[in-house]
Parts: sequence; structure tokens; C-alpha cells
Amino acid sequence: MGFLTILKKMKQKEREMRLLMLGLDNAGKTTILKKFNGEDVSTISPTLGFNIKTLEHKGFKLNIWDVGGQKSLRSYWKNYFESTDGLVWVVDSADRLRLQDCRQELSALLLEERLAGATLLVFANKQDLPGSLSKEAIREALALDEIKSHHWCIIGCSAVTGENLLTGVDWLLDDIAARIFTAD
Amino acid sequence: MDPTAEVGHENGLSGESGAAKMQERLQKRHQARIEEVERRKEAKENQSVAEEKGEYFSSTFATEQACVEELLSSCSGADRAAVTQRLEEATARTVQLQKFLNDSMLFLTQYKMRQAQAALQSLQTSIAEIREKALPKKKFAFGARSKGPGNVPAPVSDAAPPDAAPPADSGEVDGADASEQCFFSNMDDEFLTKTSEEIQKRDVLLSHLSNCKVRLFGSPSTLHLKHIDSCEILCGPVSTSVFVDSCRNSTLAFACQQLRTHNTTDTQVYLHVTSRAIVEDCHRVSVAPFSWSYPTLDEDFTASGLDRDRNNWSQVDDFNWLAAGIPSPNWSILPEADRKTNWGP
Repeated sequence: MGFLTILKKMKQKEREMRLLMLGLDNAGKTTILKKFNGEDVSTISPTLGFNIKTLEHKGFKLNIWDVGGQKSLRSYWKNYFESTDGLVWVVDSADRLRLQDCRQELSALLLEERLAGATLLVFANKQDLPGSLSKEAIREALALDEIKSHHWCIIGCSAVTGENLLTGVDWLLDDIAARIFTAD
Repeated sequence: MDPTAEVGHENGLSGESGAAKMQERLQKRHQARIEEVERRKEAKENQSVAEEKGEYFSSTFATEQACVEELLSSCSGADRAAVTQRLEEATARTVQLQKFLNDSMLFLTQYKMRQAQAALQSLQTSIAEIREKALPKKKFAFGARSKGPGNVPAPVSDAAPPDAAPPADSGEVDGADASEQCFFSNMDDEFLTKTSEEIQKRDVLLSHLSNCKVRLFGSPSTLHLKHIDSCEILCGPVSTSVFVDSCRNSTLAFACQQLRTHNTTDTQVYLHVTSRAIVEDCHRVSVAPFSWSYPTLDEDFTASGLDRDRNNWSQVDDFNWLAAGIPSPNWSILPEADRKTNWGP
């Protein structure tokens, strides 16, 4: 019995993934997290630290870390890098004025050794806004095509309506699973 | 029985009674052993729950799956309300089924798990397909999302001032279709207004304004203010967030769900905020309750979905001041005597 329990636990652990969600402030990270979890998104305050959610999806247990994007918090991002399987980079597609900022922060992250193995999902959020840039424009602005070090994908989404959130997360899970659960 | 007799002999026991006793003893031991085996078997059975059996899983899963499929097939031809309700139920059931699968994963074989996963996937796909077909509401969301030039209502581009075209900010990456979002920029000493029709549900950006008076009568989806100097900017209820960056010497008034203020100095904010306001790298920012009013404010509040009874205007978080208990020196509450009551035109 004891041995079987250990085996079960190990198997359970194997199906766990750690996702780290980052991006500039006001990008919609917490809203994505809450919407994905089916919670109310109308009462969200700017994140003063971080939020963690553990949820099950497609047979995987996901630990999602949502860290505040405020400038003064960005220097703490590195504390969350360890054993990250997937990086979710959230972009406010309507915030044209800070795209340069956004690009710099992202490229700095991708140089990070501890994130070297992580899959990158870019959410071009706020597509519900009429003035938002398309995901192609964001892809260009962030120079995603130059990324050779990580598997990446960009998905246009809206955290407010929930559109495409599942598509994005499903892609991320499939990519990570293909990489780390090959033994299955 | 032979071995028994032999054992008996080997043990040196002789005579009828000895052999009989030995046999009896062995019989007893045999009985005890069988009982022990029986007992263990029972204990084991008690431990493995009926729900943790492959067959139980398969049959339950199949029934549930058939249920959802039936629900979906009944959608065709039904009226809108019925379809909505059925789809909702189908979705809820699918989610439950997924949960069931997740819980059962530990005792399922790889093959069974994959099969179940594939079945679920196809259910989800057909739900999405039916929803797409029966409830074209989603199509609208799509239309708003893909932003072609035809998407911009003509009056907006007409109303945009001619000198707004060249965006001065070097940080801006895509200036080509900025007119879509940029309502006012690079202006000095002007009185600017927007009507509800022009900004309803849109994202509004005001940048590089100085000595301007701005009145936005309506409920935009979000509001960005950047590089504002000595302006008075009043805006109706914003349904999501307001983002203020590099603003000085100004007076702002708006209602919103969130407010983020950066690099702002000597500015007064008349605020209605339903979640929280934050400041970062700011100095001498003062807050007061939202007091601006215009004829259609009530309607705009309703349109924005903001809770009128919840206003946390006085609870500002300062990202540069995390010491608990000591108030941040970077912002303050505007004394009542100094608050503006007459907003003029």
C-alpha cells in the first residue's frame, strides 16, 4: 500500500505544470487568470504583489502565478522564474505608447537562464477594444519572429469576454506536455 | 493424507490416537489459513472502491456523453432561448465530465484516458460549433476585433483635428492607424469635447496636451492620459481602467473600475473608483470624490456597469510606499474646503 501511494503521488506530480504570467501593468494578467478560473472580473484591483491559482485543465494540474507588472515590482519577477514550464506574456493591445517598453521587458526575460526551457505564449489582450492592434501588429512590434530560443505562439484574446483564452492555454499545455511528458 | 502419516511417524508419534490428533491439528491449521486468506481478500475488496474501476468509469462516461450529445442534437431547429439554455447545460455537463475524467485519471489506462479525452474534445468542438451557428452574438465580437479601416465610424475621423496626425511620441510603434484610437494629441490651449456617440465603448487616448480643457461626455471602455500639462480633463464613467502617465499641474475627474497613475505631480483627481486606485512614482497627487455631473451621467453610469454605491476614492495604494501604518507622502486627500464644486461648461 505504501509503495502504491508513493507511486500515485509521483504520477500526480508528473502532471503538474507551473505557468508564470507576466507583462506590463494594466495588461490584464489578473483578469485573464480570474476569467479563466470563472471568477468575477469586475472587482479586480491593481496587483500589489502576486496571485497564485491552482486549477485543473485537460487532465493537468496548473499552478498559475500572476505577478504584478508595476514598474516597481518588475525587479521581483526573477524570484518567480524557478522551474517555470510555461511563460505567459500578456500585452495590452490598445496601449501603443508602451509597446517599446513591452518589447524590452520581454526580450530581457527571454535571456534569463532559468526561463530557458519554458514555452512562451503571448496573449495580445484587449482585442475587444475597437482601437486595439491586431495580433500581427503586436507580433511585429515585439519582434517575436526573431525569437529562436523558445517555442512561442501569439494569440489575440479578450480577458473581459473570455475569447480565445482557452485556445491559448490549450496550445501552451500541448506544447509543454509534448516536451516534458514524452514518457506517456 | 499420506504425508501427514509420515510426519506423524517422523515425529516419533505412534499409535492410532497420535495420528488422529495430528490430523485434527493440521485440519485446524488448514482451516485457519483459509480463513486468513478469505479475510485478507475481503479487506482488499473493501479498500478498492467501486468508483475506481475501469468498467464503472467507462459506463458512466458513456452515459453522460450520450446525454450531452442528445442535448446538442436537440439544439437544431429549436428557438434561440432554448438553444442558449441547452448549450449552457451541455457546457456545464462537459465541464463536469472533464472533472470526472481528471479524478479518474489515476486508475485509468493510457488508452482509456486518451479515448475519453478525445471524446471530450469532440464534445467541446461541437458545442462551440453549435454556439457559433445558433447564437451569432459571438460573430459581433469577432467583427469588433478585426480592425480594418472600415471599422472606424466616419464622424470620429472627421472630428479628429488635422494636427493630431503626427504622433510625437518616439515610443509609439504603430503610428499609421493611430487615429483610430488617438482622439486628441499635440494640442495647446483648446477647449475639446466628445459626445457619448463618439466614445461609447471605445478606448480613448489623450496625449501631449497642455493648457486644454477636455470634456468627454460618455462611457468609454478605457481611458489613457499621457504627457498632460496644466489641463482640466473631465470624463464620464469608464467601464474598465484609467491609465495616467506623466501628468502635471492638472485637474482630472472620472469614474472607473481601476486607476493607475504614474510619474504624475501636482495633480488633483476627482475620483469614483470601484476597485482601487494606485500611484507609482508620483508626488503631490491629491484625491477627492467624483463630483462632476452632466445631463446623461446616470445613463452612462448604467452603460459602464460601474457600481455607483461603491467608491474607494480615498484608498490609494502607493507602489513606492509599502510601509504599513504610515501614510504615503506622495498622495493626500484634498481638503473639503479646497474642492472644486463648480465645473463650468
